[in-house]
Amino acid sequence: MSEHQQYVLEREQIDDLLQKGYKIKKVIESLSGDIVQFEQDSNTEEEPTKEILLILTPNARKYFSVKLIEQAQGNVQL
Amino acid sequence: MADLRINLAGIKSPNPFWLASAPPTNSGYQVQRAFEAGWGGAVWKTLGDPILNVSSRFAAVSFNGQRVAGFNNIELITDRPLEVNLKEIYETKKRFPDHAIIASLMVEPKQEKWHEIVKRVEDTGVDGLELNFGCPHGMAERGMGSASGQVPELVERQTYWVKEAAKTPVIVKLTPNITDITSTAEAAVKGGADAVSMINTINSLAGVDIDTWNTIPHVGGKGAHGGYCGPAVKPIALHMVGECARNPRIPIPISGIGGISNWQNAVEFMLMGATGVQVCTAAMHHGFRIVEDMIEGLNNYLDDKGISSVMDIVGKSVPKYSDWGNLDLNYNITARINQDVCIECNKCYIACEDTSHQCIDRLVDSNGVSFLKVREEDCVGCNLCSIVCPVDGAIDMVEVPNDLPPMTWNERQAALGLLNGTAEKVVKS
Ligand SMILES: Cc1cc2nc3c(=O)[nH]c(=O)nc-3n(C[C@H](O)[C@H](O)[C@H](O)COP(=O)(O)O)c2cc1C
Repeated sequence: MSEHQQYVLEREQIDDLLQKGYKIKKVIESLSGDIVQFEQDSNTEEEPTKEILLILTPNARKYFSVKLIEQAQGNVQL
Repeated sequence: MADLRINLAGIKSPNPFWLASAPPTNSGYQVQRAFEAGWGGAVWKTLGDPILNVSSRFAAVSFNGQRVAGFNNIELITDRPLEVNLKEIYETKKRFPDHAIIASLMVEPKQEKWHEIVKRVEDTGVDGLELNFGCPHGMAERGMGSASGQVPELVERQTYWVKEAAKTPVIVKLTPNITDITSTAEAAVKGGADAVSMINTINSLAGVDIDTWNTIPHVGGKGAHGGYCGPAVKPIALHMVGECARNPRIPIPISGIGGISNWQNAVEFMLMGATGVQVCTAAMHHGFRIVEDMIEGLNNYLDDKGISSVMDIVGKSVPKYSDWGNLDLNYNITARINQDVCIECNKCYIACEDTSHQCIDRLVDSNGVSFLKVREEDCVGCNLCSIVCPVDGAIDMVEVPNDLPPMTWNERQAALGLLNGTAEKVVKS
């Protein structure tokens, strides 16, 4: 798989979670890539649903960063 | 005809082209011939206690047929008595009252030494002084030149002593042999400098003769480090000028030096914040008359752009020069090969395949004709293919629209910091 194809895949995974209402809750930059933790707020007392993506490609790391900045600018509780 | 006159910290000259302090400005005979040729100013070969030079002083680095890509010297300051130089400066100034003559000075780091030379030199009618805190060899071993110029406190103190005695503007010439030139430039400002000039030469050894095992140059079988200048140092000098120009703690004019060989180079330095330029190696390589092309080229450039005074271009590129962290990570360019211009030498293909991102394909069209094509989605816009391409116009680097908004590294890290409470790093075990 070319790096571009992998980027497209990672971008789709990020978009998928964001479309489902997940928010980026934590990012850990590591030697293996960026570990991005997503959480979906629940209206109930239940624990929020969590998802973790390991983002490898540089372009996808740029992409989730843009989404993170938009999330912050949207005045969303981080 | 644009107005080419400059005013650098009160020093006026008919054009921005000065000869740097070096062999071309060693004597009145030379400086007067230079002014006749059209040079706007000259920084006299550094005055101080007359020195002793060695024989075999220069060496040049040629690269792939380009002679004097870099130039190296182990020459010291003037070897002529002060009185001789002062007499010639006086005569030259009298003959050319509208040209700028700046006396370059270097003495031991003692207050009385600086006071004495400043007074004697200013009596000749010089337009300004340049303090040589940059010579990297010979003088440095005696506590002068770059030995002084590498220590901000010494730069500040000696500048202050000069300013105590000086009536004309004082330019402090900085050494590039330091990690951060802004620290010594700031020290010069604190000492009261009216301007800074940069760069002097860079510590260097031009080469080693692989047959005799001697250094190049060598003095009877022994060598010592010298100072490097000429076209090869231009990017280093330009960076240092830019760093000083964009530093708010260095609010004084800059005289740009280092590898300037033509009017285009001069424009670059002025756009990056220099009020004027000084030239040494190019004059040594091609003679004084290169200034004719420089004046004509600069004049045409300004006329073409509708700019009436050369002073109007000073610093125009400085706001465009920033830190890496302020660059847009989402700005994208890609390589495009123009099939009708490409000669299919494959240099771009080899460069990309071997040393970059493997995004150029060798293809064959329906007529069996081979061609090269960039896979744009995999191209990172590194420019390498267009750099190695031997044919102008065969590869264009073109901007590609990005559906993402601009985002800098600093903005990204700020957002991550906000999210995580603090920037967080993990090291995988
Ligand atoms: C042979 C030689 C002698 C030099 N002597 C002096 C000197 O006496 N004082 C000084 O300030 N700079 C001296 N320089 C440095 C030049 O003034 C200038 O800073 C340097 O060469 C960079 O400019 P360029 O690339 O145009 O040569 C000398 C340079 C050369 C090549």
